[in-house]
Amino acid sequence: MAGVPKRILKEIERLHNDPVPGIDVESVNDSVRYFKVVMAGPSQSPYQGGQFSLELFLPEEYPMAPPKVRFLTKMYHPNIDKLGRICLDILKDKWSPALQIRTVLLSIQALLSAPNPDDPLANDVAEQWKSNEKQAIQTAAEWTAKYAV
Amino acid sequence: MSEGTHPLRPRPVPRNFLLLQELENGEKGHGDGYCSYGLDKSDDTFMYNWTGTIFGPPGTPFDGRIYRLRVYCGDQYPKQPPKVWFITRINMPGVDQQTGAVNPREIECLDKWKPSNNINAVLRSIFSKMTKRESRLAQPPEQTTYPTPLPATGN
Repeated sequence: MAGVPKRILKEIERLHNDPVPGIDVESVNDSVRYFKVVMAGPSQSPYQGGQFSLELFLPEEYPMAPPKVRFLTKMYHPNIDKLGRICLDILKDKWSPALQIRTVLLSIQALLSAPNPDDPLANDVAEQWKSNEKQAIQTAAEWTAKYAV
Repeated sequence: MSEGTHPLRPRPVPRNFLLLQELENGEKGHGDGYCSYGLDKSDDTFMYNWTGTIFGPPGTPFDGRIYRLRVYCGDQYPKQPPKVWFITRINMPGVDQQTGAVNPREIECLDKWKPSNNINAVLRSIFSKMTKRESRLAQPPEQTTYPTPLPATGN
C-alpha cells in the first residue's frame, strides 16, 4: 500500500466500519481509488425504491482535487446528463479538501431529493421540469422503475 | 498487488474516466483542426462507439475531402488499442477495400500501442500516413461509403 495517502485509507476504513445508510461503497479489484457505489433513491422523491449504480474515482491530486463520480444507471434528472455526469458545485469549483467521499455521496443523494432545473446539465429534462413538473416527476419515477430495480 | 500501484509508476485512470476525459477534450476541439472525434451516441454509457473525422491533408490526393471513421474502444481500452474503420471510402495502404477496416500493423500509433495513447493520437497517426508518398493513389468517387457494419457492443 506504499504511496496511498493515509487520508484515503482512513476514509475507506470509516466507510466500511460506519457505512452510510442506503449507500454501499465497494472497491473495484481492491483498488483504493476506484469504487462501485450503489445508492438507494431517497424516500419522498421519484427515485424512491430505486437502486442506482455509480462509479467513483479518486484522482492522483485527491484530496486537493475532487473525486470523479458519475451514475451508471440511466437517470431522468435535470442535473444529470445522458452519460451519468453530475452537475454539483462541490464536484467542481466548490470542492474543499475538508469534504470526503462520504459527504460527496450524501450530497448526490440530496440532489436526487432536490433537483435544480435552474442549473441544468440535461437541458431537455430541465425544460420539462420547469414547464410541467408533475409530468417530469412522473417520468423520473417511470425511469426509476425501468432502469433502477 | 494490482498493476499500477507501484509508487513510482503513474497510477492508471480507470477506462471510463479516461474516456470521459477524452470526450471532454474532443468537445473542446484540441489539436490543429484536421482531426476531431466524439461519441457516436450521446447515451452510450460505456463509451464504446466513437466517430472520428479527418480532413484530407493539403497537397495529397485526399485534399479537400472529409473522411469519417468509426472507432471502437473495447472493455480493455486503453490496455488494448481501439479498432478503427473508415466509413468514407478511401484508397490507401492499410485500409481494407471491402470493409474499410484499418489494419493496426500499418498505422504506427496502433502498431506500437501504449496505454498513454488516445483516440486523437490514432487519428493523427492515420492523418500522418495519408501524407506519405505510398498513399499517393487514385481515389474512389467522393462521398461514397463502405457498407455499414453492425454496431459493436461489449468486448
